[in-house]
Amino acid sequence: MMLLLLTAGPMAGAALSYLIGRKSRTARDFFADVLVIAEFLLFLVLGMNVLAGDVLTYRLPGFCMRGLSFKMDGFRFLYGTIAAFMWMMTTIFSEEYFAHYRNRNRYYLFMLVTLGATVGVFLSADLFTTFLFFEIMSFTSYVWVAHDEKKESLRAAQTYLAVAVIGGMVMLMGLFLLNDAVGTLDMDSLFEACRACPDKGILYAAGGCMLFGFGAKAGMFPLHIWLPKAHPVAPAPASALLSGILTKSGVFGVIVVSCNIFLHDAVWGFTVLLFGVVTMFIGAFLAVFSVNLKYTLACSSMSQIGFILVGIGMQGLLGEENALAVRGTVLHMVNHSLIKLVLFMAAGVVFFNLHKLDLNEVRGFGRKKPLLKLSFLAGALSISGVPLFSGYVSKTLLHESIVEFTAYGGVQATAFMKGVEYVFLFTGGLTAAYMMKLFVAVFVEENEDQKSMDASNGRYMNRRTAFALVGSAVVLAVLGVVPSLTMDFVADISQGFMHGTSPHESVRYFSITNLSGAAVSILTGIAVYFGFIRTCLMRKENGKKYYVNRLPKWFDLENLLYRPLLMRVLPFALAFVCRIFDKITDGIIWLIQKTVLREARAKEPLPYGNKLTHCISIVLNCMAKVMNHTIRRKRPIRVSFEKRTAQKYEEFITTTRLFEKSVSYGLLMFCIGLFVTLIYLLLSI
Amino acid sequence: MSPSLVVLPILFPLITGALLPLFRFRERKCRNIYVELVTLINSVMILILLYHHPGIAYRAINLAGNLEVTFKIDGLSCLFAGLIAFLWPFATLYAFEYMEHLGKENTFFAFYTMTFGVTTGIAFAGNLMTLYMFYEMLTLVTLPLVMAGMSREAILAGRKYVFYSIGGAAFAFIGFIFIFTYGNTMNFVPGGVLLGQSLGDKAGLLRLVYVLAVLGFGVKAAVFPFHGWLPAASIAPTPVTALLHAVAVVKAGAFAIIRITYYSYGTDFLRGTWAQYVILGFAAATILFGSARAVKEPHLKRRLAYSTVSNLSYIVFGAALMTPAGLAGGLSHMIFHAFIKITLFYCAGAVLVGTHRQYVRELDGLGKKMPVVFAAFTVGSLALTGIPGFPGFISKWNLCTAAVKEGNAMALTGIAALLISALLTAVYLFTTIIRAYYPGKDFDYAALDSVHDPGMLMKIPLTVFSLFIIVMGIYSVPLMQFLEKIASGWI
Repeated sequence: MMLLLLTAGPMAGAALSYLIGRKSRTARDFFADVLVIAEFLLFLVLGMNVLAGDVLTYRLPGFCMRGLSFKMDGFRFLYGTIAAFMWMMTTIFSEEYFAHYRNRNRYYLFMLVTLGATVGVFLSADLFTTFLFFEIMSFTSYVWVAHDEKKESLRAAQTYLAVAVIGGMVMLMGLFLLNDAVGTLDMDSLFEACRACPDKGILYAAGGCMLFGFGAKAGMFPLHIWLPKAHPVAPAPASALLSGILTKSGVFGVIVVSCNIFLHDAVWGFTVLLFGVVTMFIGAFLAVFSVNLKYTLACSSMSQIGFILVGIGMQGLLGEENALAVRGTVLHMVNHSLIKLVLFMAAGVVFFNLHKLDLNEVRGFGRKKPLLKLSFLAGALSISGVPLFSGYVSKTLLHESIVEFTAYGGVQATAFMKGVEYVFLFTGGLTAAYMMKLFVAVFVEENEDQKSMDASNGRYMNRRTAFALVGSAVVLAVLGVVPSLTMDFVADISQGFMHGTSPHESVRYFSITNLSGAAVSILTGIAVYFGFIRTCLMRKENGKKYYVNRLPKWFDLENLLYRPLLMRVLPFALAFVCRIFDKITDGIIWLIQKTVLREARAKEPLPYGNKLTHCISIVLNCMAKVMNHTIRRKRPIRVSFEKRTAQKYEEFITTTRLFEKSVSYGLLMFCIGLFVTLIYLLLSI
Repeated sequence: MSPSLVVLPILFPLITGALLPLFRFRERKCRNIYVELVTLINSVMILILLYHHPGIAYRAINLAGNLEVTFKIDGLSCLFAGLIAFLWPFATLYAFEYMEHLGKENTFFAFYTMTFGVTTGIAFAGNLMTLYMFYEMLTLVTLPLVMAGMSREAILAGRKYVFYSIGGAAFAFIGFIFIFTYGNTMNFVPGGVLLGQSLGDKAGLLRLVYVLAVLGFGVKAAVFPFHGWLPAASIAPTPVTALLHAVAVVKAGAFAIIRITYYSYGTDFLRGTWAQYVILGFAAATILFGSARAVKEPHLKRRLAYSTVSNLSYIVFGAALMTPAGLAGGLSHMIFHAFIKITLFYCAGAVLVGTHRQYVRELDGLGKKMPVVFAAFTVGSLALTGIPGFPGFISKWNLCTAAVKEGNAMALTGIAALLISALLTAVYLFTTIIRAYYPGKDFDYAALDSVHDPGMLMKIPLTVFSLFIIVMGIYSVPLMQFLEKIASGWI
């Protein structure tokens, strides 16, 4: 029952907040704060039971036909709590951020509904419930992206909605296939049922559809297109949530599919791994080139999702021995959520002070703003995988899992996995490079107009905002400094969800081998930064250097392929076919009307001449037309032959009549008669 | 309860409707009260009849030989009659406010009331003869409604409507004759009337005739390529397009298809044969076609009409699966679509009356100015797209699970068509909503100052229907159980 309250509570509260908001803004803000804090506390209280070894379940039969079922075990508790935590922090943060926005009431309404839906996704115990909340979440978060109603926001929101709807439909297809093949959608019984299913082909088809649907939300290549567009245009608190938690709901789905339907399945693992590697690299690649603060962070999110997918893929490949991959996956999810919370809120602080995001324009804003600087630094170091910060731990685990497979796998596998390992480390390097780019740009370099940047020093954010930002940043440091206490605990409670077990020996995070992996990445990053970003991606002008985006404008999968395909080619083809068929029946009826059912028409007299002249004139007119277009183009014939032929005919008739009556006609006839007789005589002889 | 009472709700509106022009009402108000009273009384009569439904057939007239006009109320009748009895009084309320702007109300309401009786006749028909008779009558009584505007376009649309309908009925007539010749009885029997007959080499011919009959009735159900009349008929006043062309008339077509499939020719005879595949193919093609056309259609009411074309074939598709699960899915869509589409049309009508805007591109910014209308429109759109938590999703889920279970190639094609159509539905409805709610940052709301929500008579049906949609989405277990009982032939 409490589980239902966790999802329905915020939704009901959303409606209430809307009503309150119509009366008073401050009351609404206060109410929303109370609601999200209560949600977070409720999670903690229920979590006590879960940690004591209890598993909470709740079923609501009949709701939307199949009924809902919720469950709270370690992993679900963990992610629900993180969701509640992020909502709490962003809601506290929102008050100052939205101070000058319109339509705030609408934002709060949909923000709270989405909270309920997201919690619903993470607590769901069967895929039907997951799907239901997943769709609600997709639709309500649309409003976030479109919030400021600018042209590019509406466009990004359109993309977001399109990807969400298409993903949802494909996922639904997967659910139908799965439900038919194994007869259940319950996550706990799915594992056994799929093991018993003889037809693996249909399972792969179902799994593929679901990977498409969940992957679209997670931002997996090639369905990532919405992500770099939507995050920058959404308000910063919403970007933090979109990036930190909504993408994770997609990952949650991928995990459910991977760890129940395809547990320890190498083929599946390999597929996910491939997608993961591509997503990871492309995200980082785009981020390096970007010159927009939030766009960089969005691409970074995509890249980090790639890392997580690599972890999920490795779980499948490693089979029974996947402890490291399981723990790495969970921890990287957690870390990325929390890191992006801090980074996007920091970007939000920059934005609500300057209303700009371009690196050349916000450059130097962060100088002499220690709180902002330190918070951002914590996030940046953590995501780059610097030891003593949380990101280091999870990246190390993921890296170790790849190394482990290389050690155990065959010769071919080794060559391939070496490649994956290099890409992994190189992408880690790129991460360090683009974070360094952001940090140097915002916090180190000086702006041309540094005075106006420094003008707001000391009062650029109020206490609530500072609390949200710094509070979230502290968590990162705490997690990273004592990983064997915090991180191991997090991993221990959640690995059961992925059918994982604890590793045989506890991992020594700060051993030399592990530190050297991080060192390789970070050194690569520094090399990329100084060797590529500061040289190739900057342009010198009047003695100052500017950031420029060297990627060509057309380099965009959405504009290059998806939009033309979906908005031009397909509709055209469909409409063409449709129009033809649309006319068929009408055409038949028209034909019948014109032929069989035609009303007899009274004959209209021809204007000139008779039928014969009419026909001849038509032929002549046609010939004249053809000639006008070809040989007589210079001197076209401009006469209508209708009248002329009629006249000629008339003349012809009168002259014949006259002629008939004349003597010469009689003589002519006589001659012909004679001639015929002569021939007859000649022939008969 | 005497079985002869069945004819009451059929004759009552026919007679009162025909008398309406004779009363020469001085005031609009009196006439409205009269019409609303008639509709209400009739609805109540129908509901009472459904509640105590006499299980035996009532033979009203014997035309010739064994051609009888027979009425019987079974589960399927309950469903259809219940649906229209519920919708009609609300729809009439809406019509009052709407028709004020159009004039010629007396004729309009006369035929409008008579249509109620004829539709009830279709629902209560106990054999194919009766069904066919009322089916033809339906064409005739609704024709003046389509042409109510009496503009050139309206008359052309009316002609088209008659052409298509009469043509379709001719094909249906063939199907009727063959059942008359080969069936055990003319009456509707769950499982069909061809059981126990040694058909021999006539089986192939009968299947062909079945396909012709379905396509013939399919004209009213707007099965592609016989859908042309429906978008053209959206020229009619909104109460007509909403109630008749989204619910009563088109659903009568689907209803007749279900009748001849399940109650005359019988699923045992048809299932797994080419006849089934052909019908499934037509349905799948229509599903795709309707939504694809709707996406490209800029005129709001025509867009909704194309959407109706697509959605009716969901029902036909469910019926053509020829399993109880499939039929239950189709019937659930019949109910849900009725409510959803009537809501959407009413919203379009409210916009049309309030602002004289007919095209989707003109809807910018109306979301804020007509909150009730667009809230209802949003609910309807979400439901029709099949967002989980709304009724459209339930029927889609039922149809698809039934089709997956059926497992043949045509059924799987149908699922693909359903899902793609759902996607297209999202496109053509959401673009509308997004326009209304997000006109863009620099939109000038001052130009819309005179725009506001319509009056109470329009708002009541909108609110009631939207609420019903929401409730059905959340909890529909009893309804689904009822539908499964009907589909299995238990009631």
